[in-house]
Formats: sequence, structure tokens, C-alpha cells
Amino acid sequence: MALKPLEIYKLLPKKNCKECGEQTCLSFAMKLAQGKADPASCPYLDSEAKAALSSQTGAPIAKITIGMGSRMITIGEETVFYRHDKTFYHEPAIIYRVVDTAPAEEITALAARIREEKITRIGIDLQVNGLAVDLGSGSLKQSVTAVTTANEGGDIPLVLQSEDPEILKACLAVCGNYNPLICAATEHNYRELCDLAKKYDAPLVVRAPDVEKIGALSKECMGLGIKKIVLDITGADSGEYLSRATLVRSLALTRTAPELGFPILLDCSGSVPDNIVTGIVKFASVLITPQLPVAEMTTALVLRQNIYTDPQKPIQMTPGLYRIGDPGPDSPVFMTVNFSLTFFTLQGYLEAARVPCFLLIVETEGMSVLTSVAAGKLNESVVAEWITKTSLADEVNEKKLIIPGYASPLSGRIEDATGWKVVVGPRDAADIGRFLTEEWK
Amino acid sequence: MNYILPHTWSGSIQTVTIGATKQEGGTRSVSYEIGGDTDLPFMNRSGKKPLLAYEICDDTAIWPQVVRDAMPKGISDPASWAAYGEKTLKPDCIRLNLTSTRKPNSSDFASISATVQSVLAATTLPLIIEGSADPAVDSEVYIRCGEAGQGERLVLGTAEADRYRSVAAAAMAYDHIIIAQTPIDVNLAKQLNILLRETGIPDNRIIIDPYTGALGYGFEYTYSTMERIRFAALKGDDDLAMPMISAPADSLTVKEIRESDSPSEIAVSWERATAVASAIAGAAILVVRHPGTVLPLRTAIDALWEGSRREVSDGA
Amino acid sequence: MIQELSNTKGEMMTEIPSAIIRGREKISGTISALTGDLAFPETAYHLPITYAVTGREVHTADAARTAYEDSDKNMLIGAEIVVAEQEREISEATGYTGFIEDALIRKLGYSLVDGSILGLCLILGTPPSADTAAAICRELQEKLMLTFLCGPVITVLTDSGVKVDLSLRLIPLGATSIKGVHFADILARVAMMFGGVPPGDVSRLITYAAERAKAFVIVFPSLSDEEIAFVDALRILNIPIIQVGGYEGGEWLLSDPQTAVSKGMELRGITVRVTAIPIPMACSPAFEGKSIRKEEMFVEFGGGRSPAFELLVTRPHGEVTDGKVTLIGPDVDQIPEGSAVPLGIIIEVAGKQMKSDYEPVLERRIHNFINYGEGSWHVAQRDLIWVRITKEAVANNLKITDLGKLLAARFRMDFESLLDAVQVTLITDKDAVTRALADAEAIYQKRDERIAGLKDEDVSLYYSCILCQTFAPNHVCIITPERPALCGAITWLDGRTAYEISPSGANQPVEKGTLLNAVSGEYEGVNRFVRKASHGEIQRCVLYSIMDAPMTCCGCFEAIAMILPETNGVMVVTREFRGDTPFGMTFSTLAGTIGGGAQTPGFIGISKSYLTSDRFLQAEGGIQRVVWMPAHLKEEIRVKMGESFHEKGFDTLFSIIADETDAVTLDELLTYLESVSHPALSMPSLI
Repeated sequence: MALKPLEIYKLLPKKNCKECGEQTCLSFAMKLAQGKADPASCPYLDSEAKAALSSQTGAPIAKITIGMGSRMITIGEETVFYRHDKTFYHEPAIIYRVVDTAPAEEITALAARIREEKITRIGIDLQVNGLAVDLGSGSLKQSVTAVTTANEGGDIPLVLQSEDPEILKACLAVCGNYNPLICAATEHNYRELCDLAKKYDAPLVVRAPDVEKIGALSKECMGLGIKKIVLDITGADSGEYLSRATLVRSLALTRTAPELGFPILLDCSGSVPDNIVTGIVKFASVLITPQLPVAEMTTALVLRQNIYTDPQKPIQMTPGLYRIGDPGPDSPVFMTVNFSLTFFTLQGYLEAARVPCFLLIVETEGMSVLTSVAAGKLNESVVAEWITKTSLADEVNEKKLIIPGYASPLSGRIEDATGWKVVVGPRDAADIGRFLTEEWK
Repeated sequence: MNYILPHTWSGSIQTVTIGATKQEGGTRSVSYEIGGDTDLPFMNRSGKKPLLAYEICDDTAIWPQVVRDAMPKGISDPASWAAYGEKTLKPDCIRLNLTSTRKPNSSDFASISATVQSVLAATTLPLIIEGSADPAVDSEVYIRCGEAGQGERLVLGTAEADRYRSVAAAAMAYDHIIIAQTPIDVNLAKQLNILLRETGIPDNRIIIDPYTGALGYGFEYTYSTMERIRFAALKGDDDLAMPMISAPADSLTVKEIRESDSPSEIAVSWERATAVASAIAGAAILVVRHPGTVLPLRTAIDALWEGSRREVSDGA
Repeated sequence: MIQELSNTKGEMMTEIPSAIIRGREKISGTISALTGDLAFPETAYHLPITYAVTGREVHTADAARTAYEDSDKNMLIGAEIVVAEQEREISEATGYTGFIEDALIRKLGYSLVDGSILGLCLILGTPPSADTAAAICRELQEKLMLTFLCGPVITVLTDSGVKVDLSLRLIPLGATSIKGVHFADILARVAMMFGGVPPGDVSRLITYAAERAKAFVIVFPSLSDEEIAFVDALRILNIPIIQVGGYEGGEWLLSDPQTAVSKGMELRGITVRVTAIPIPMACSPAFEGKSIRKEEMFVEFGGGRSPAFELLVTRPHGEVTDGKVTLIGPDVDQIPEGSAVPLGIIIEVAGKQMKSDYEPVLERRIHNFINYGEGSWHVAQRDLIWVRITKEAVANNLKITDLGKLLAARFRMDFESLLDAVQVTLITDKDAVTRALADAEAIYQKRDERIAGLKDEDVSLYYSCILCQTFAPNHVCIITPERPALCGAITWLDGRTAYEISPSGANQPVEKGTLLNAVSGEYEGVNRFVRKASHGEIQRCVLYSIMDAPMTCCGCFEAIAMILPETNGVMVVTREFRGDTPFGMTFSTLAGTIGGGAQTPGFIGISKSYLTSDRFLQAEGGIQRVVWMPAHLKEEIRVKMGESFHEKGFDTLFSIIADETDAVTLDELLTYLESVSHPALSMPSLI
């Protein structure tokens, strides 16, 4: 079990010196307990306390970055087994693989695709994260050429896939300063690769046939001073991966095997779409895959966004006036909250109803209708505020607002506060179609 | 160092038998026992492999457009559809969705018995039936489903907190299994199971449907609810220890598919990904509608459960 | 077979105990002479009663006789054998069903489970008049009961033009009353088919019949001895026998024919669901928020313009007539438009599960229900209510009595499992309102005293709340009379009421179990409950402590109490307070850190009202530990506590608790506390 703030507090100097950046020792203790502070920030810790705190606080899974600049990937730093226990923090990186024998134009095109292609959902751009170069040609020259091409621009995070120290050395000479992921150290090459990783301060993948051997190798690398490790636990198939990932995550979180306290890599080549799904929902931090058709890419990005949503912080829509179809001055106006799920559900049914309309989204801090009514976040003044902000009155001829069924207790107050006539709509968005045909006039 | 999983479980998932062979009093070619798991889904290939159900309906008016477009030619009725499904797609079971009962003022109850009987005759696989969703007609619909499938150990859906009596009565009167659906909430799932138990349904005849939200539109809630149900069951909560069913039908009507130039491709991808993620969260039955999803989903589940036949290189 | 009785004036009575003895002998005699095979058609349950009671698959007279003897001459078995013999050739004459095959029983059972039939009634004997019998049957039909008829009552009904048929929920079993056996064999088969009762398991059969098969019998005069012996034996299955005259002695209940049905239904706890409200006004939660402006109003009540009050009280069962609405005083047709009129709303309820403690909770629903009406509006509570009715509603013929109908129906609909009967009295007569108001005031006061005085040690059950597990998966709130839920929204009484109304809901009773520590509030039973409800994550929950295994925090707490080790005291910060605290974090940062269902010693989420409870941090010295709280909270408590603020000595204590005007940083706070010699400084060390 992780230490509680008070247990940590007892180990601290209790000087309230503020030198760690916190106002009090107790608030520093709280940050430590959450893995959001480093014991080293306290200048007055005695060595015994420092040792005790270092092994028991901080994220049980190391935080690692790949690449540099705006597209830099951050992985690791996870603290829970189930997303419902708190949240998963860093989305797995999806990395497209290209072989070093591919023509330069193909590599450039793929890098461009990674750079430019995106889908936008709920105001967030979703993108594939990086490029893995499979340095399997056996030709040093070809490998270096391919990596040079891939690294043009220096913005796309790279994974260098080879177990040959010479090839890696040559390629790192090209891109080593851009923080690429070196993939991978095995029991045969790890000493040379550790030297390379240290030289460039780059993260290093360790790879071995089973979890025991991966752990042993990771320990060896740690012994050689390597701190940025990624564990390649790809198995024969998604089932084997799942068992391995569960084991590694559990042992890492309980801090029983510090050598496993690193992000996980899954090579999805075996059965691409299913491995990607398995990796996303179960603990992978780096997913390497051949480039995906748009449909599969969309699925992977959306699933990743879903799973890495903070369960305690619902996704919020930007409040404002949305249009379904091409509404005119006589179209109905619906109002609801800015909880994304409410918005999407309602939007879906409104679109299906094929009646052009306005949808006014008001700010309720992402709470659903029921919750926001109960918590007072949805109230007459917020509705009035957004009617004004969106100049809704200029859009329609008749000041008539359809509110969610569960917001019916507010109808009178909204009428008084806004001067709009309020019509109470259905409680369930599924009834919108019927409501529009039968009750809306 | 030998790594050992730090968790232990005190509970296990209830076993439920669906379908009945001749020896068991029915006419199915196979029956399945689902549940019985004692660990997280797929851990070390323990537990049972999820079943794949192919879903058909008796009125395609409300069926997703993308699925209607992918329907093979020559299917004119639920029976021929079921036969096609069994023969071509080789699912583990068929789910018949009685969409005709969803029409306003539906009242042709006689045809329900005939439809169920015809589908039972057309397929040898165990049958899941999704009945009406309107308290006004539930009583009439479920008695006919129950009666028409007497002896076949159907899986009858769907019981909900405010309308479960007719489904429960049909399951009890004619020895069927019941699907208990709640809107993505672990406590509501628990409450409904308790209510069903109070009406006299034994635990080994209940399958939980935690409701599968569409990928991108709330699926994360479903995923976590399923994980929590499974976790609670393994921790010894008998009220949640029933196997789960997941039907990612909502993923077939999302905007991304409606607005796509190649809707079928996206539909299959979304439906399959949702089903695989649900299986990993603990679903024992996966229900899909797009004919293109069944075979790839089978491959995915096999890879999770059986291991593929691929040669394993040894990393060196 | 029928014994002649001269009871025309109701003076000649059949004496039940002696009839039973004679009947048993006659049945035994018949059975001793039986030969050959015995079987009912189209059943997998053999002779169903015999099978259910003994587990034996009887198909011959010899086997039947043995089963009868071995059952110690069980009259249900005896009568079944006699009837099986009678129906050996043909099951029954035209117009009667006789034995009912399994397939049909499945359908009947279906309707029973599915709720389209609420219960079963058997009627037998010779009714005093056709009208009496017809009225009883009509009432049973209206109340969704399935009625079985046998004996002369059938011809009496059909001769007077009453149709009997399964589709009409009136099933004619047979021409003689002994055919009531089929009623019992149906119960036996339903228990085996639906209840999973194994053949031969008498105790489970009896339990099933008692709990699930809601049945009763209405007996008219003129049963034969054998029929009396059989009917009396139904009592084994916990089936009440209601006679409407003609019998004396024995265990049968006497009733007027007019009340026989309601008596039977009440005895078996069968209640009819209310689904529609027969008033000329739409009624739906959708109208809840509509207000009625003065211009739209036809009449108003209360709101300072006239005396008005509302009261909901529990009464014994017999004293409440379900659905009855009484108006004392004028209705809208005698009231001038635009006037203010006195109003008393008195709702009397009865229900086996209803307890007087629930009254305030239910009473608060009057507000919602009246607002559900499209043309009716309600605010406030008790003697502060203000009610209006629109001109439009009155033009649509709405009467004040309709509000009563609305309330009676909504209470029955929304509290289906709690209330069996609801009657409403509305008073618009000024003097009557004044008189009734005085009584109501006395009841309000008594209630307040009871709730205010309720201590944790007065109750054996606490209540849990796991509503927040949706986002805080391991959080368990334990609600006690002196420690409300940390959201401030659910008191112990609310928790209890919620549980009683919805027994499988989010509020569950928590057995306190052995008291482990009276000061810190640790109970063995509470720990056990929390362990289970938190899925094994939380091992202990100490109710009155902030340091030792305190309650988990969900996220919706009204305030946070946390220790400030440097002060040896506790700081309280509310959700409303946006500023910085001496701890160095704002409420929202702090809430994000301790929420989510974690147990964090030194930090608890609390309701504001827990602050003034005698149990507040009892383990650490109580409210004396509080060194800092926002000024608005001090003021809120002062206003809310009124007199008792002073009585408890809080004015002195609160004057030395710092707020944001005294100290914002820890250093300022320490200086302040020294300057006022705050008691926390000299209390035992917190850590």
C-alpha cells in the first residue's frame, strides 16, 4: 500500500520552509503521497527518510519521454490498475512502422501523414504519434539513409528498431539528439546499447522471451545506470500479451518488482487491430504497428481517447449555440448541459429526427442534466447568461426554449429569468423524435 | 525471480447454461455453459471463451442502415436470415431481435410465436431473443416467446428495473434464461439482480447486460462498469456474479459511420473493437449485427483465448 | 352428497369443527373403497397435491390410499383422490373446466408473476343472492384478481346473466364445491413450476404458498361436511378462509359480503396499482417547475394571505379508506375568483411497512405532487405553504377535491410498496382550518423534538449510502443520527426511509454490532459492512475520528476538515469558500486530492451540520479542536443554531476560531491562536 500523507509527514523535517515549492510540509506530503512530487525537492531530508520515501513515493511506473518539441510523447507515470480507481494518465503512443528498405518518398510520406493527419473530437485533435524505422536491411548505409529521411524536420518522435549495436550507433549519430526510443536491448547486446542510451540520454527498450527474463534484463540495465526503460512484453498473441501485461502492471503498482516499474511496449504486427485494442485497454504505452487504414486508425484513436478519459472528470463541450442541419428562424431551440455524452446522445437523436434545429449548450462544468439540476449548476441564471452570450434571440422568431425533461423544476424560473417561453422536452433523448412529431408545434 | 500475481480472489462467476440439446429436452445441436470464471478475463487462458452471437431481426425498419446495406441478397424473413447466419458466419448463437414489436401500437402477437418457431426451425444454434420494450405489450410478447421456445432454454431479453416482470415470468414459466439490463451503472445492475431474485429467478438464470455505449460516445463508462462488475464478483459479491452480455449495436449508428464514404469498413472496425474491449472487460457473450464483423471477431477472440498458431520467434 | 341445512334466516348455523370430523370420515370411507387407476389428463404432476406434499407419483387407487394414510389423512390429499375418482371418466360437465392442464397453468402462472393478475380467489357454496355473488366477482375482476368458482354459486351467477369464463378472469371449476380441489392443485403446480419447490418438500410448499401465491377463499353457506373438511384444510397453506355467514366455530373469518374481498386482499397484502389519475388536469413531473402568476391565478391558499397547512399522518389500517377524498368547506364554485382562502391538507396513510418516522419525508412530497399538476402550484412546507390554482384549470372544471384525488393517487403510485391506502381531507372552512392547524402544530413540534433528540446510541441500525460509488468506487458513507451523510443531503431518517421504500437501493441498514470504542465511534459491524461494501479496500471506518481510519471521502462533501499539525488543531473549509487557506491549498485543490473514495487520516469530508453535532471529532476533542473556518460558515452556523448557539457556549468558542479576516497563512494563524490562547494549543498532541 502506498504511504498516506500523514505517514509521510512524520518523516519530513516539519520546518515549513517552503523551499520545495509547497506552502507547508503537510501539503508537500500530500503531493508525495500522490506521486506528484519528488522527495529530492526537500533539502532537509535525512538520508534514511529520503531512502524510505524514494522507494515508497513517486509514480510506481517511471515517466518516460520520446522525441522532442511539440510532438514529444510522454508515457508511464501510471498509478492504478483500473481506470475507475483514479484514471490512466498518459495515452499509449501509436507508432507507425516503416522498413529501412522503403523508398525515401514512402518514408517521407508516412512522416507527413503522422505529422498532418488528425481527427478532431470534442475539440481535441487525435493523432498517431511517431515513426518506427525497422533497421532490418542489414545495410548500415540503407539504415542511416532511412533514419535521416525519417528524422527530417526533427519533429516526429522516432523508434529505432534493431538489435545490432553497430547499426544503432550509426543511426543514433544521425538522430540521437532527438531523444529516439532505442529498440531493443536483449541479453546479447544490452551492454553496448546501455552505453549508447547513456551517451544520448535516450530511452531504451528491453526485450526477452518471457517476463522473468525481461525483469532480469531490466535489472541489469538499471545496474548499468539506465533509468529510462521500456519493457517489450509482446507475446505470441494478444492473450499472452494480456497475461503478461496484467502481471507486469500489478507487480509494478505494488512496488514488489521495481525492475518492472516501466512503461510497456507492444508490437502489434501479429494481428494488428486486435492487438491494438488489447494494448489500448490493457496497459500498453507504446504500440508499434504497420500504418493503418483510416477506419482502423479512427477506431484506435477514439478507443484510446475513451479509455484515457478521466472517469472523475467528464469530458466537457464548449458551451455555445450549435446547429443541427440548417436551422432557420422558425426552427425549434433545444437547451442542454455541456456534458459531452449528453450532447452527443442528443445530437444523434436530433440528427436522426431530421428536423433542423438549434442546440444551446450551457456551462454546467460537464455535469449531466440530473446531476447539474441537483447541484444547482443548471439554473435560470446560467441559461439566461448563455442565451445572451449566443445572441439566441437574433436567430429565431419566437422565444421558445425546449429544456430537458429532468430540468422541469426549473421551467418557471427560466421563464422568469429569460422572458423565453419554456417547453419541457422528454427525459430520455430517445423520445426526441416522437416529441418533435407529436408534441412540437 | 519468479513473478507471481499479487491478487487473489474469493469469488467466481455463476455458471449459466444456454440452449438445450435433445438430451436436455430441446432441439439445439449444442448447448453452452458460460460463466464459471475465477480470475480476470483471459488471464493465463483460464475461464471460458466468450460466445459470439449474430443478431438478426424481424423488421429491418429500425435496423442500422450500414447493416441493411451489407445484408446478402435473398434473405426475405428471419428464418432464412438465421439459416444464412449459421451456415455462412458460423456464430455460436443467433440473437433474434423482435423489432416488429417496437412499432407504435404493435399488436400482431400471433406472428411473434410463428417467427420464433420458424427461427428455431431454421437454426440449430441456441437462440437469444430480444423482445419488446414497452410495458403495454410486454406481457403479450414474452408469453409468446416463452411458449414458442419451451424446452429450448432461450436467453430472453430484456429485463429492466421498471419492466422486468413479464420477461421474468416467461423465463420462470418456460425455463429460460433472462437478460437483466441496467444503464451503465454497477449499483443499478446489482439492484435489478436482487429484484429478479425476489421474483423467484435463480441466479444461474440471469445474464447481466450493463448496456454497451457506442465507441466514442460513452463506451468508457461501459468498459469501466463491466470491469467493476467483474471485480466485485471476483471479490465475492454474489449479486453481481452473473456472466455479462455485450451488444455494441450503438456503435453502428454513430456519426462517424453515417457520414463516412466507406461506412461498412468503419462499422466493422468499430463494432469489432467495441466487442473485443468488452470481452477483455469480462463479457461472456458478444452480440454483433454486421455480417462482416463475425469472422474477424472470431479471430480476435481466438487470439485472446486459444493462442494463434503463429510461430513464436524467441527474441534473439 | 350435499347435506341439507335450514339456515334461511341465518339462525341455523353449520358448526365447523363437527362438520370437519364427519367430513373426514366420509372422505376416508370413500377412499377405502376405491379401486382401479387414477389420473388427471395432460399433466406431468400426477395427482398434483399428493405429488407436492408426499413426492409420490400416484396413478392407482391403491397407491393413493397408501399416500393418504401415510400423510396422516391430509384432507387436501383426501379430497384430491375423491375428485380424481369422480373425474375418472370425464373431467367435468359442459360449462365447467374440471382439472386444468399444465399448459394453461403455465399461462396463469405467467400472469401471476408478470403482475397482470395480482392474486387468486376461490369462491364456493351457495350465495344468499345473485347480486351478492355478482358484486363480489365484479370487485375481484376490477382488482385484477383471478377468481375460481365452484358449486351452486356458478349457476346462481349464470342464471342471473353473469358470464363466467377464463377470459373474464372467472373460472368455473365444477358443479360441486369439492371441485375447489383444483384450486389447491393449481397452487401446488405453480409452486413446483415457478417456485422450484421440490415434490415432497412440504415446508417449502407452505412457504411458497404463504409468500408468493397470494390466495384467499370466500365461502358462501351450504357446504357439505366433506367440502368443509377440504376447505378448512386449505389453511395449512396459509390461505385465509373468509365466510360471509352460515358457519360457526372453527378458524374461518367472518365478514360482510361487501367487505369480503378487501378483507382477503388486505390479509394477503395484495394492493392494486394506481396507474391513472381521474382529474380534469394533466399531471406530470414535466409541469413541476411552472409557476402561476397572479394574473393567471383563480384562487390561492396560504402564503401569508390566509391560514394554510399540510400534514401527513399514519393511521391504523382499518381507519383509512383508499382513495377517499373529503372536502370540508367550499369548493371553487363557491369561491370568488382571485380570492385567498384558508386551506388544510391532511393526508392519512396506512401501510404495513409505514412508520410514523417517515411522515416528514413523505409530507415533503406534497410539494412535488401538487406542482405536477399543470394548473396547480405549491411552495414551502408545513404551516408555511402557499398554493395556487389557475383560472384555466378551473375553467376546465378542476375542483379542489381533484387536488385531493391527485395527492391520493400520486402517493399510492410513488410509494407503492410502502402505502396500502391513502385518504385525503381538504379543509377550506376557516374555523375548521384553525382548529386543525392547532393539532398540526402540536404534531410538528413533537416531530422536531424526536428528530433533534435522536442520538446515535438510541438506534441499533445505521444506514449506508453508496450513491457516489459511480465515481468513487470504494466510497461508503455511514449515516448515523448524529452524523449525516457528508454531502449534507441525507440524514439518518432519510437513509432509513429510502431503504424501506427501496430495499435493494443505495441505502442499506448497517448493523452496529459490538461497540469497540465509544469515544472514537468504532463498531465491529460498521467495519464489517464497510469492508464488504468497499470491495475489501477499506478495513476500518471509525465514525468520530479524523486521525484513526476516518470515513472515506467521495467528492460531494459540503466541507473538509483537516488537521494543521503545527496548530495541533483542525481547519474547516467549505465548498463555497474560494480563497486560500492557512494550509496552502484552496478547497477545490484539496478536494481533488482527498476525494475519489480514499481514506486519508488527517482529512475528512463532512456535512456542515456534522460540525455542530456532539459527535464531531469526539475522538480528538470535538469542536474545541477547530482553529480556522471561513467567516461565512461561522455566520451560517450562528443563524441556524439560534438559541442553542449561545446555550452550547459556541459564542465564546467561535470568537477565538480564526477566519480569513484573522489569518490566511499558517504563520498568521499561529500568531493569532497564541494571542487568543486557543484551547487546541494545549490539547493532547494530534500526531
